[in-house]
Amino acid sequence: MNKYFLNGLYSVLGFIVISAFAFKIFQPIKVLPRMQLSPAFSLVDQDSARLTSEDLRGQFVLYTFAYTNCPEACTAINDTMKEVQSRLSEVELDGISVSFVTISMDPQRDTPEALNAYAQSINANTEQWKFATTTNETLLKTIIGSGFETYYEKKEDGSFAFDPSFVLVDGWGIVRAEYRYATEVSNADRILRHLGVLAEEVRNSKGTTKLAYEAAHLFLCYAP
Amino acid sequence: MKTKILLGTFAIILGLATGIYFFRPHTFHGTVIQSPETSYDFTLTGGNGDVSLSDFRGKLVLIYFGYTFCPDICPATLGNVNQALKQIGAKAEDIQLIMVSLDPQRDTPEKLEQYVAHFNPTFIGITGTQEQVDTVTSLYGIFYEKKEGSEATSYLIDHTATLMVIDREGYLKLVFPFGVTADEIADDLKYMLRQ
Repeated sequence: MNKYFLNGLYSVLGFIVISAFAFKIFQPIKVLPRMQLSPAFSLVDQDSARLTSEDLRGQFVLYTFAYTNCPEACTAINDTMKEVQSRLSEVELDGISVSFVTISMDPQRDTPEALNAYAQSINANTEQWKFATTTNETLLKTIIGSGFETYYEKKEDGSFAFDPSFVLVDGWGIVRAEYRYATEVSNADRILRHLGVLAEEVRNSKGTTKLAYEAAHLFLCYAP
Repeated sequence: MKTKILLGTFAIILGLATGIYFFRPHTFHGTVIQSPETSYDFTLTGGNGDVSLSDFRGKLVLIYFGYTFCPDICPATLGNVNQALKQIGAKAEDIQLIMVSLDPQRDTPEKLEQYVAHFNPTFIGITGTQEQVDTVTSLYGIFYEKKEGSEATSYLIDHTATLMVIDREGYLKLVFPFGVTADEIADDLKYMLRQ
């Protein structure tokens, strides 16, 4: 009987080890990492309306950081934002809305009027894509610099040195992906694919499959 | 021979079932964050002087944002944490709750100390300047705003009511939504204490 018991015990351990390896190697489920909390904020948008982090709960939000007097760098950023927005129908979102937010690092010049004029000049659909900032510059630095981990610094001529980036936040206010423009040429495809991965997790994270998704997080099965 | 095979198979299945049961991964009630870097460290003032998050490395730290005039949700959450700690028993000495005040105008360090001690004598309440509080809340994803009352001092504050757990190494590990029960908090904390 003792032998059977040992056999049983060995097979249990073997089974667990093998399934863990199998999960790690084949990665049947891909997820996006839950990297950190997205910063909380209360900003003013291009229509002088308040835009807070709580307003955006329950949606996927793609953030980027720019300023309206910005030369070429921002054109590329805007193009990516527009492309993701126009191709959203390619992703199965199951009714989860996606919002786009450009936070300006130049509140002195980027008044709501300036932001509004800018949004119109680049043909942005402001129903879905907000341009916002706050005149509290210390807090703005906290939000963009520490919260979204995006470097920016005002230069003497009034322009900004900054690292272009996109940050994807889920409906719980958790940062799920960061895209640094300097290293990724075409972000739009990747961002769209990631939106699909997020929506799939929301769709399937119920009952027993939730366990599988949590395992995917545990084993770092991250979507490329 | 046949009975042996049968018995063997049975033993294996039984073993597998119990094995899976005992070795099954813990399912967290809160949302697990796998942050690559330690959580934002801050220093604010409590009843006994300055308190930093990093003072508690080696302990699990629960962070909650509230204020002493808070009518219902703060007392509910603090009460639940106290119950959870009671369930955990002696090992709860490795857990520290910190409440950060969202109301630096009315909550003095002394008042906060009294308030949190009312729920559990080990709880710490801290506060700082408006600017300090704004930085900490933003970086912990806490939105808050004043709701003006009938008098200048009778306002309420709407705020994100999540409860966060920082692990022994200082990484943000868990976020509980408002409404989490004492049992659920205790279950997750017990698991984290074993790690």
